[in-house]
Amino acid sequence: MRIIVCIKQVPGTNEVKIDTATNTIIRENVPAIINPFDTYAIEEAVRIKERAGAEVFGLSMGIPAASEMLKEAISLGIDKGVLMTDRKFAGADTLATSYALSRGIEKIGEYDLIICGKQATDGDTAQVGPSLARTLGIAYATDISKIIEIKSNKMCCLKITDDGYEEIEINLPALITVVKEINMPGLPSIKSMKKAKNSKIEILTFEDINADEDRLGLKGSPTQVRKTFVPVHEANNEMIEGTLEEKTEKLSDILLKLRTEVK
Amino acid sequence: MANIDIIKDKCVGCKRCAGACPFGAIEIVEKKATIKDTCTLCGSCVESCKFDAINFERDQVAEKIDLSEYKGIWVFAEQRYGRLKTVSLELLGKAKELSAVLNVSVTAILLGNGIHNLADKLIAYGADEVLVMDEDGLNDFNDHIYGEAIIDLIKEYKPEIVLVGATSKGRSLAPHISSALKTGLTADCTELSIDLESKLLVQTRPAFGGNLMAEIICPDNRPQMSTVRPKVFKPLEPDYNRKGKITKICKRPVEGLVKLVGNIDNAEGVGLSDAEIIVSVGRGMGSAKNIRLAKELADVLGGALGSSRPVVDMGWMPYSQQVGQTGKTVAPKIYIACGISGAIQHLAGLADIDTIVAINQDPDAPIFKVADYGIVGDVNEILPAVIEKIKQAKIT
Amino acid sequence: MDNNTFIKMYGEYLRDESRLVGNAESIVFPKSEAEIISSVKEMSRKNIQITTQGARTGLAASAVPYKGHIINLSKMNKVTGARYDEKMDRFFITVQPGVLLSELRKYISNKSFNANDWDEQSVNALKYMEKNQWFYSTDPTETSASMGGIASCNASGAKSYRYGSARDHITGLRVVLADGDVLDIKRGQYIAGGDSKFRLVTEGGREIKGQLPKYKMPDVKKNTSGYYNMPEMDMIDLFIGSDGTLGIISEIEVELNKAQKADWGATIFMPDEDKSVDLVRAIRHEITVDNINLKLNPSAIEFFSHNALCMLREQQKTNAAFSNIQEIKESYHTAVYIEVESDSDDVVWTEIEKLGDVINGLGGDEDDSWVAYNPANLEKLHYFRHACPECVNMQIDNIKKTDSRITKLGTDMSVPDNKLKAAMKMYNEGIGENHLTAVIFGHIGNNHLHVNIIPQNMYEYEKGKSLFLIWAEKIAAMGGAVSAEHGVGKLKVPFLKKMYNEEELNEMRKLKKLFDPAQIFNRGTIFEFEEDGK
Repeated sequence: MRIIVCIKQVPGTNEVKIDTATNTIIRENVPAIINPFDTYAIEEAVRIKERAGAEVFGLSMGIPAASEMLKEAISLGIDKGVLMTDRKFAGADTLATSYALSRGIEKIGEYDLIICGKQATDGDTAQVGPSLARTLGIAYATDISKIIEIKSNKMCCLKITDDGYEEIEINLPALITVVKEINMPGLPSIKSMKKAKNSKIEILTFEDINADEDRLGLKGSPTQVRKTFVPVHEANNEMIEGTLEEKTEKLSDILLKLRTEVK
Repeated sequence: MANIDIIKDKCVGCKRCAGACPFGAIEIVEKKATIKDTCTLCGSCVESCKFDAINFERDQVAEKIDLSEYKGIWVFAEQRYGRLKTVSLELLGKAKELSAVLNVSVTAILLGNGIHNLADKLIAYGADEVLVMDEDGLNDFNDHIYGEAIIDLIKEYKPEIVLVGATSKGRSLAPHISSALKTGLTADCTELSIDLESKLLVQTRPAFGGNLMAEIICPDNRPQMSTVRPKVFKPLEPDYNRKGKITKICKRPVEGLVKLVGNIDNAEGVGLSDAEIIVSVGRGMGSAKNIRLAKELADVLGGALGSSRPVVDMGWMPYSQQVGQTGKTVAPKIYIACGISGAIQHLAGLADIDTIVAINQDPDAPIFKVADYGIVGDVNEILPAVIEKIKQAKIT
Repeated sequence: MDNNTFIKMYGEYLRDESRLVGNAESIVFPKSEAEIISSVKEMSRKNIQITTQGARTGLAASAVPYKGHIINLSKMNKVTGARYDEKMDRFFITVQPGVLLSELRKYISNKSFNANDWDEQSVNALKYMEKNQWFYSTDPTETSASMGGIASCNASGAKSYRYGSARDHITGLRVVLADGDVLDIKRGQYIAGGDSKFRLVTEGGREIKGQLPKYKMPDVKKNTSGYYNMPEMDMIDLFIGSDGTLGIISEIEVELNKAQKADWGATIFMPDEDKSVDLVRAIRHEITVDNINLKLNPSAIEFFSHNALCMLREQQKTNAAFSNIQEIKESYHTAVYIEVESDSDDVVWTEIEKLGDVINGLGGDEDDSWVAYNPANLEKLHYFRHACPECVNMQIDNIKKTDSRITKLGTDMSVPDNKLKAAMKMYNEGIGENHLTAVIFGHIGNNHLHVNIIPQNMYEYEKGKSLFLIWAEKIAAMGGAVSAEHGVGKLKVPFLKKMYNEEELNEMRKLKKLFDPAQIFNRGTIFEFEEDGK
């Protein structure tokens, strides 16, 4: 069985300080990390590998330094890392990203399952999974919280929805996006870290893949950022003061009043 | 290929661009800005430069489609076993507003089994036309089956804008459609408007966990697609006297690739999405067992219990009760944050809440900046007393 | 007010984390040293005993009052100054005793203090904070402990393996004495002479002269059993670890350490207890494995016994609160946890690679390990570490429902390096022979293990207590300390008697009476109160 895990490198934290004078963000030097949702995807792939035997590929599209991140993914249990990196890929929105990834997957070859994290913490769109599946022409399901059974051509899973859960049966090859409920990602061991340090990441540039340049990068991105701004939150900002007794009295009054306004 | 560089002669080293770059890809070296390798060509810096010192060349799109062929605003009317999702009604309201600026019509797309009667409601809430596909094979929502049907309809009817509610189903369906049509999709929009000059849909959404807002446009591809979370917009007052056109689409749904085996509905999670009052817990509760205090407050107020991400990560609360950007979409009128330190990203996933009340031991907690009412104190001391007082008040 | 009213209003102040409940007649919450002095003078005049309290997180009942008056320092919670020694590149912070460890850590990591009342020198010193990331290295597990309490019981935690205990980072103290006078002591200021004589001068100009006791402290890194005593010692060390019996600490100056960039942790699972101990010994350079020159310099070495892992494993299955911990495989027998800080990740990795070879050489498997090298993952390992005592507490809470008299029984004893194996053998045998349920975990790097007995009923509870007393005697005979980090308090007074004989204890009593002639402070702590003339 072959599994491909799509992994994205994202900034270590979204916490940015706002320079109130210029109303711009101050980005501190935050290290890049594996997108948290992707760690669940990696862990799930590794568990399937341990249970049923599988070859696990990690695929990422990013800057050259992302190969270090793929090595980290190897220390977490994947077998091979593939990094798509090229200036031509830069500036991609979710459509161009999905297209590029699909070309990388074509280069990798046959596969049974693609696992993605539900969304990336820098974009939070949750779009690449479904877009990629449609581009590849395969079945997909989002928000998977449990893989119940993998048969030769179908997979039984549990999916989280707004109303609860759905048990679904999905045709293989398929793509799933996973949520945190699915597992608890493990840490690397000394042995797996040694393996990762000695591993080589396969690099794919534009020349290595069979892709239409117009559908890649900024060129291939129908959406554009017109403007960014720092959100302003308007709030009453009233602090309730006093002794514990007084505070709880005032708070109860406020809550009761608000409640009547709502009901 | 796209290109971006700094016009050194114009650059004064004011650092505004470095501050605006969400990726830290601009450095000031010897008083001039330099763009590093890590630039993703997002273009955020261009706006910030007051000296026109940034040259950003976008490529010409290879094939330009004839945009004038695309007219009309579509809203995907999500329904589940005969009940319309309120977000679809909210989007109809917004679509009506946008359509007035563009002078076009609003169409609702309704798929399902035995749901024909819902078309009238859609018209009452603002649809000028409803395209209905009512088939056995559409009884259960299915990404592929619904998606392919809608793709064909869009190719045939050519709407310029398609709006989808950002429910769990909507967020899965929309990118399926947008990628097939090779068009742009903007997720979780908090604002939609029409740019009067270009007539483009301007889509505003949070980025970086809500620390930044971005305005997105889709100038060269159609339709312009957006998903919007529930309760961001308000529905119109329904007018059942409104007239509209109902068109029955007779098309064979495609074969599905995913089969629904069974539904396991969960009331707790649902209560949260619709709740008007939410009591939410953060790490400041101290331990899992203290959460019952927040639950009690939720109960006496007739509200629901929610949780911040760290609390779910620690296993004190189930994921189904996580609220925020990566959790459940909620839009309460009153949000009581107990022991939540509240950086902006916690609130980013929440629509504009009328009133935020925050209780936290740390007077410097960021949540106090966004709260309407704040109390500095130990939740475990404050909650029991407040619960008691409310109980008493309810009796009298 | 009458006692009933007092208990109603201030009941929580009659106990600390030892779960012992005491009684008192009055309580004050001074906000300044002057207020402490005024209260002390009043009580001294009336000959009413005083119990000093910090955050009441102590486990040995030092803060539990038995009668009389309580002076609770929780309102003295300001950081009052800073000092930077530019020549030596050393940074110091002055705090009031009620500042909590968690608060101090936050101020330091945010580099943000409320410096409104600070003097100019202190404000200037803050500029030097910007240059580096500093931290306060004394790390007792209970972060809501007060700085006064930390100084009084010479607290320490996991990181004391590398950084030492509270006394290694205290450079100044102000102590309010029984007569209301104040001793201001800086490290290096009062050193006892070669003749064991010492002389201190109070702020009021009073001379206090005395002689150091003759007893020897055990040769262990972690010790807070009775008064510190070393030839030619710095007299400030007498007050650190004195459990509030000599006076009330009203101000403390602590030295910070520089944080290093690389911060790693690793939990290593070994196939049996002996191999775990050998791993510890290899890290401590006591043995060499396969000629590997291991230069790992961990800041902490911790241990989790087989039972501890089994208990955690069971809890993982049923309790969502432990869902954030990676699966503990059935094959994992015992665990050793290390933390390493260094200026470079590469340096640490080189040593971890060698550590892997050492593990393999000892018969373990380097694949049975969890490694963290970023804050998010390190937090996971910390979570695992805290889960152990959490788990014990939860089980005790459950058992308490059947018999509320039952509390957790935990030891706090340490031995010299060469007695580690003997001590562990003793613990295991004692537990086994008495058929008790127990888990062992703790700071194995300092040979300081916490044996936690989980009594299923009162019989086992009593058995456990008597076992501890037997162990105290044996540990003392091994040259160990009966109280490694919690302090003797009131609970371990019988244990101290196993370490020191009556003559030696009388030496301590004499020392106490030198500073507190009427024995006003913390009666019943460290030794039983004996009326004068006995």
